[in-house]
Amino acid sequence: MLKNIQEWVMVFLIIGAIILIGNWVGYDILPTAAIPGILTLIAICLLGLIIHRLLPFKLPSIAYIGILGFVLTIPGVPGSTYIVQWTNEVTLLAITTPILAYAGISIGGSWADFAKLGWKTIVVGMCVLIGTFMGSAIIAEIVLRFQGII
Amino acid sequence: MAQQLQRLWKDWRLHTLVLAIVLLTEMIGTHEVSIGPGLILLLPMLYAVIIGIALFFTPLVNEKQTKHAEQLVFLSVTLLIAKFGVQAGPALPKLIAAGPALLLQEFGNLGTIFLALPVAILLGLKRETIGMTHSIGREANIALISDKYGFASPEGRGVMAMYIFGTVFGAIFMGLISGFLSSVTPMHPLSFAMATGIGSGSMAAAGLGPLVAAFPDMSEEIIAFSGASNLASTVTGLYMSIFIALPLTEKMYGWFRGKKDKNPTKIPSRNQRRCYKLC
Repeated sequence: MLKNIQEWVMVFLIIGAIILIGNWVGYDILPTAAIPGILTLIAICLLGLIIHRLLPFKLPSIAYIGILGFVLTIPGVPGSTYIVQWTNEVTLLAITTPILAYAGISIGGSWADFAKLGWKTIVVGMCVLIGTFMGSAIIAEIVLRFQGII
Repeated sequence: MAQQLQRLWKDWRLHTLVLAIVLLTEMIGTHEVSIGPGLILLLPMLYAVIIGIALFFTPLVNEKQTKHAEQLVFLSVTLLIAKFGVQAGPALPKLIAAGPALLLQEFGNLGTIFLALPVAILLGLKRETIGMTHSIGREANIALISDKYGFASPEGRGVMAMYIFGTVFGAIFMGLISGFLSSVTPMHPLSFAMATGIGSGSMAAAGLGPLVAAFPDMSEEIIAFSGASNLASTVTGLYMSIFIALPLTEKMYGWFRGKKDKNPTKIPSRNQRRCYKLC
């Protein structure tokens, strides 16, 4: 467990550094301004991963991480204003670019399988994604309008 | 796991490549392409996937890097989820107000059955359809289908095909259509924000990016709603598949095949099919 935490920390520090650089180049936020934010996010991830290991429930670790970040920033929770202020300096798009860069490199490994898929699979696959996406959007739109929120 | 992870952070070639991709793509920046009435946003993350895939065909990347990259996607997605979380806390009052929409839109994930299943049947696919169209076919769904039909079954082949499609093309496709659909339809960005929670971290990231870029004034709310919907999908997704999506897919499949065949035959039950295999 201790060994794992050490490795997680190293991996997060590397990814964090890449995010800080992307955040600087693409979104003009100096790394010095974004360091507290990225460290906070890393801390939340580590805590979530550790809780996931310790608790017996069969929830995925990202559920703990999401809930933790959420609870820590509810207005009124001690320190929440700092966490919000710090993490605001780390742009969402700066986080997504390295994720998808790693994803792209890992996708390469599936390319041979992908090339074997027929055109029918590709058509159906696109319909699956559009269907899921539009299905949720349409229901959300109807309910939000019905409630008068939008 | 610890051994593997150790090699993970020491894979400097991989991290350097990712850093180079990030630098290059962020310098290129965001570009807009209009297609008819709609707008497609080309974001750095989109170039990043494509460059990543392309690198696989160069000597810079070998099998080892792709294996490591797969685990790094998981760990880097956790940072995105943490970001989702910290945007959601301050938006708590709004999330509570939108609670009914957040919960009900989870049922929208069944939209795949209504759109993709008929298309698959029109294209002449058989029971592969069930594996392909009951969900977006991520890891949990492979487990579910293998458990129910066996991995070597037509259903199993279907879910694997969808898994491969989603893995390779999902993020790119979501990144293209989310911006496009939100610009051509009169629907509200918040509805699309909720829709990005489809049960895959990298696809959610790719679908969310264009929304945040296209509606910067609402970005905080958009991220909060997307995060809440992602969390809801993560927690409810598998149960939704087990109890609603898969039975519904079976029903719809039977109904459509019955309509298509001139002499509708009853779909053999699981035991009967097992018997065919044995006979």
